[in-house]
Amino acid sequence: MTVATEQRCASALNEGLIDLFEQRDDVYLLGEDILDPYGGAFKITKGLSTRWPERVLTTPVSEPALFGVAAGMALRGYRPILEIMFGDFIALGFDQIVNGIAKFHDMFDGNVRVPLVVRAPMGGGRGYGPTHSQSLEKLLLGVPGITVVAANECQDLAALLREAVADDDPVFLIENKLMYGRPNRRPVEGRIGELECRETDSRYPALLFSGNGFADATATIVTYGGMLPVALDAAVALILEDEIFTEVVALGQLLPLDLEPVLESLARTGAVVTLEEGTLTAGVGAEIAARVQGEAWDDLKAPVRRVAAADSAIPAAGALEASMLPGVQDVVDAVRSIRRPRG
Amino acid sequence: MEWLAGDREPVRKGQPVCLIETSKSAIEIESPGDGTLCHLARAGEDVDLGSRIAVVATTDAELTEVDGLRESAAAKPTPGEQGKATRKAIELAEEHGIDLATITKAGFITAEDVEALVAGQQAGTDAGRLPGPAVLGGVSVERVSLPESLTLDETAGALDPKFLTSLRTDPDAFRALPASERCDLYRRHGAQIGEDVQLGERTLIVSPRIVLGDGVEIGDDGTVQCDEVFCAGALTNFRARLRLRCRRAFIGAGGYFGEDVHIGGGGAGDPQALLVIGDLAFVGAEAFINPCRPIVVGREVFVTMRSVLVTHNVGHSLLEGFENRFAPIVLEDRCQVGIGVVVYAGCRIGADSIVGSNSYVVSDIPPGKLAIGVPARVAGSSVRTLSPARRLELAEGMMAELHELLVLRGHDVDAIADRPSEGIAVTFDGRTSHVLFRERLDGAFAPPESDGETIVLTFELEGDPPDGCGVLELVSRRFHGPGGVVLDSVREFCRKRGIRFEPGPWRYRGGLI
Repeated sequence: MTVATEQRCASALNEGLIDLFEQRDDVYLLGEDILDPYGGAFKITKGLSTRWPERVLTTPVSEPALFGVAAGMALRGYRPILEIMFGDFIALGFDQIVNGIAKFHDMFDGNVRVPLVVRAPMGGGRGYGPTHSQSLEKLLLGVPGITVVAANECQDLAALLREAVADDDPVFLIENKLMYGRPNRRPVEGRIGELECRETDSRYPALLFSGNGFADATATIVTYGGMLPVALDAAVALILEDEIFTEVVALGQLLPLDLEPVLESLARTGAVVTLEEGTLTAGVGAEIAARVQGEAWDDLKAPVRRVAAADSAIPAAGALEASMLPGVQDVVDAVRSIRRPRG
Repeated sequence: MEWLAGDREPVRKGQPVCLIETSKSAIEIESPGDGTLCHLARAGEDVDLGSRIAVVATTDAELTEVDGLRESAAAKPTPGEQGKATRKAIELAEEHGIDLATITKAGFITAEDVEALVAGQQAGTDAGRLPGPAVLGGVSVERVSLPESLTLDETAGALDPKFLTSLRTDPDAFRALPASERCDLYRRHGAQIGEDVQLGERTLIVSPRIVLGDGVEIGDDGTVQCDEVFCAGALTNFRARLRLRCRRAFIGAGGYFGEDVHIGGGGAGDPQALLVIGDLAFVGAEAFINPCRPIVVGREVFVTMRSVLVTHNVGHSLLEGFENRFAPIVLEDRCQVGIGVVVYAGCRIGADSIVGSNSYVVSDIPPGKLAIGVPARVAGSSVRTLSPARRLELAEGMMAELHELLVLRGHDVDAIADRPSEGIAVTFDGRTSHVLFRERLDGAFAPPESDGETIVLTFELEGDPPDGCGVLELVSRRFHGPGGVVLDSVREFCRKRGIRFEPGPWRYRGGLI
């Protein structure tokens, strides 16, 4: 028996999968090492193969084959969920994604759909080195025809899985390795800790956080996925140390980019700081900066600032890794350095 | 980590009791022996390497020992439960000896929360001097200086009921009387009316109680109807074609109302209708004030032209989900409401704040802020802390401006030193007066030879003002006589730059500018 406590994200995702398997018989799970007793590298699939051995398929270590088989199943009307053991390995399936999965609907004149869900844990902080720690979701943002969703620790993770499976088009659900072990902190009476939290009513909701009841603030920190706790820690530190209030927007849907909550918040703050774990150049922050200045120039009182990983490979050594990936202090510094040349 | 066996559950040697997750793997920990499992860590908690997470107790003594361990762990604050107050709030609380635990609110405790508590405590100690919430219907008067008339006893200025009835039944007969006679009639029937009060040609005041200070002026066609009381402090000036209707109106001393100000509206006879305006307030032309709930305006507040203060909305049915709001408005001391601003029911504008022209105020504006927009949002701070150098520069600029103004007015003016900011000499009615500026004024000051007045503007006066000189202290805003036409002119020049001197109120009767 387990003791009742705040549920961890890994367990919330696991329960979400179990619910889906109970509710739908067209859902299949494919991936490497996902069978019990191992239950996947991060235990998200634990228990599923025991209950549904015919629908949980462990596969050889070949992502091109894995993507190809899953795409074929989706084309034939199944709802396959693909677990990519480490998000880095998505690179191996890129031809299937770019020249197949993303395009079948258009290439076959709208006659087919690809209701495929790809789950991929990204992110570092665990010392896994250059090829097991990256945040490669920005590569997917250049592929029209797919939906990219980022899970974070404050979302209803089971609902996210349910919506992704119900989606008739391919969805890439970006998970985060550090998130798995953290508590799934859902808002209680509109609050998470001292922060007020609002959730948008879109299919893949964004979360907005404020420390002063969504009154005027200094900046909007836009982030997603595993960087949310970093953004929230920075927002709290800025309040406690300097009484600088910011809003944090945790995006749910990265592609097509759900900019609306950012624009809503920007109207109250006048400045944007983007925060992502991937490398800086041509990242999510670059896209947000371009879109915000095009769509809300009047609201923008200061240049957009980007906080991201350095443009380099990720070291395995803990101290080196920490210095390369963005942290709380980087966000705090970025907010403190905001000057408002446009009043 | 995750528990596989519950707290206080019997376990056997070799039984898996918990699951510890490290990078990429999860390890089951087995019980080292038979006994009762006692948790020392919570599921999902990150635990330090080498720390104790559970005890398998075999005796009652061991169980008791575990309880002790848990209590000492509980006494340590967990990270989530501390650090709710900001650094500024903690420092301010220490400074004022406030226990932060007495502030209960969701979210963060900021310096503003502590300041509010401090202000509340100070207001509490000043309570004896305040008129109390009974008059004001529970409206908070924090940072609002109220007019003296609020402390008058409740029979002051009560009119003879028969006379009041005649005013109500035949106002035109009363209006037909000469202005001076009307003043006398009010006095004879119980109203308290000071000297030099001037009621314009068609002015009519109908109220059971009338208290007017010295030198109150009500312009032509003014009409005042207050169902309970109308008080106006000395030297208050209501310009032509005022319409004022309210249940109770207390206006401070030295107030100025521009032309065609309209106070009243449909709800002016409401039992809760109340207008309180502090000393030295300014209400600009064509302003509309609708006091069917209390409107409380502090000292030196500017409500500029065409502003609208509304205490209720035009409601559709409350029972169909429409908002149907009736609520007071408070404008704290020295705030400024720009041209054409609308302040909505229930809003409070903080002391020293400025609301930009044409803004629409739908929520409270904190003290010391600049707010603007539709709806009005805080855009910055309204007050700046000036460096001594900058303050000096501004004062010298004022002297240069005064010089230029007197020249433009056709007076004979000379700078009396190389630096024109040091002072000027102006000839008026054949006599030469001096207007000087000194950063500090002390016993070393020697007034210039003069057959006219000597006036000194200064930041700081040390000791008594020099004999025979008029002194204007620009920082503490104190005024020292003796008065004269030139001194009055300089005082008026300062007043137009927002520097109003005590003692007051005071009215400029004309002079050099």
